[in-house]
Amino acid sequence: MIRLLFLVGLLLVALASPAAAHTVKAGADLRVAQTIAGAELTLVIKATTRVPGPLRVEVVGFPTAPELGLRLRSMTDGRVVQGSVAPGRPAELRVEETGPHELTVSAGGETSVIPFRVLVDRGSGWEFLIYGGLFVAGLLLVGGLLTGAFNRRGRSAFVVTAVAAAGVAVAALIVVMEPWLPAGAPDGAEPRPTDSALGRPYIQRVVSTIPVRPAAGEEFVARVELFDGSTGRPVDDLALHHEAMAHLVVTSEDGRYFRHVHPLRTAPGRMEVRLRADRPGRYLAYVELERTDSGGQLLTGEFTVTGTATSTDPPDPAPRQAAGTVTVTPSVPQAGRAATIEVATNGTPRPWLGMAGHLIVRGQDGGFLGHVHERGTPSSRLRFTFSFPAPGRYLAWAQYATERGITTVPFTVEVPR
Amino acid sequence: MTRKNGLRVLVLAGLVAVVVAAFVIARTSGPDPVTTTGTHYAVTVTAERDAIDVELGRGEPDTVTVAAVMPTMGHAMPEVAARKTAPGHFVAEGDLFTMTGVWELSIRLAGPSGEETLTVNTLIGG
Repeated sequence: MIRLLFLVGLLLVALASPAAAHTVKAGADLRVAQTIAGAELTLVIKATTRVPGPLRVEVVGFPTAPELGLRLRSMTDGRVVQGSVAPGRPAELRVEETGPHELTVSAGGETSVIPFRVLVDRGSGWEFLIYGGLFVAGLLLVGGLLTGAFNRRGRSAFVVTAVAAAGVAVAALIVVMEPWLPAGAPDGAEPRPTDSALGRPYIQRVVSTIPVRPAAGEEFVARVELFDGSTGRPVDDLALHHEAMAHLVVTSEDGRYFRHVHPLRTAPGRMEVRLRADRPGRYLAYVELERTDSGGQLLTGEFTVTGTATSTDPPDPAPRQAAGTVTVTPSVPQAGRAATIEVATNGTPRPWLGMAGHLIVRGQDGGFLGHVHERGTPSSRLRFTFSFPAPGRYLAWAQYATERGITTVPFTVEVPR
Repeated sequence: MTRKNGLRVLVLAGLVAVVVAAFVIARTSGPDPVTTTGTHYAVTVTAERDAIDVELGRGEPDTVTVAAVMPTMGHAMPEVAARKTAPGHFVAEGDLFTMTGVWELSIRLAGPSGEETLTVNTLIGG
């Protein structure tokens, strides 16, 4: 009878409690890829277990990274801590409380502001009932022994034993049922409604360059400004999507130029990255990103590079010689049918952006862009499965990271009618 | 004996109900004040369905306006000027939110020390 009552009570609690936030995870590292001061790197903000306490920040370079100046600011009380980080030399910044923070990263005259939340798991909350039940049982067992010793009549001892049994029953029930009980949000998490609807409005973008018409061979800034399609306000709620706030792929119209970079957040809703193009012409930009609580989005844009082709080509970060050999199966892929693309790598790949390999596929006219992930574990052969959507010529770039840096393997695929 | 036992069960059930109720209330607390600090100003914002309370922790703005946006739905509400009710205290009132859920409030503060917009997220209950 008593157990039944407890069970009913527990079920009611389980139904009445808010559906807890599953997307916000305490205890997970944040990995943010950034292209800064000409280097491709991943910043790792380690999970915090206690607050106040240290927040560890590491940097992984592909292949190297400069020393980065760090400035951590609490959005709640404005407290600022400074430090620096370099590969193999992590930074420890002191955080005083959970909640929204901004990490400003600077190197080579460039600055990126990364907003994030310091989250600390505060346990499931149900532990209260487990320990409470056990505590009551323990207390009453001692009481029961004393009552038994000093009281000859068994009635009160019966009551004590019954309550102790109930305490143990509650604790045991919670232990068994915990996997199905809703978990509480961690400390410092964003407020969330009980029935959080997924999805946010689409993003409108403005892709521009500074200067407006960059010259071949000269460094310029590619800027992507993001606006909410429904409110017109800057979009500043980007989730980390494949370890970056945004992935920017820039290709020349003919596909001879290819960059896959990770722009810096220079202002709310504004992403910027420094680039250099060696030849004049039309360049196509693709931005892959994801808003909080939403799916991924692909934004496109273009810009024109003027001037004349520079005689001395700037060093290509992707050496094309001996980069790898590509095998497509079937050798003549059919539109709409899965094809397997195998890339034999030069060196053992290490994870980059959470994957062993990436494959960017662009339709020749630039109207289609796909981003395929390696499907297995890191080995000297990268395997991708992809269905070319329609007949035509596709420009493709397979990318992987080794200790020498990021290697890009360009190739083309013809899909006949 | 049976009636007494029944009474005990009832008392026990009552105790359990109290514990469970306290537990539920503790897990679903109401809207919390949110504090945020910018360059010139620091504010603590407490938002309810028909009133937003802005308490200044730092800075002395002449005007405070509040603009609410619901990011998940793409709803944007017009800017509302907050009324100064006491030193360091501003209140915006009216039809501020069209529905319950998470709203993003942009608090624009302007005064001798400068103009700044601070943003907070808050959960508006029913």
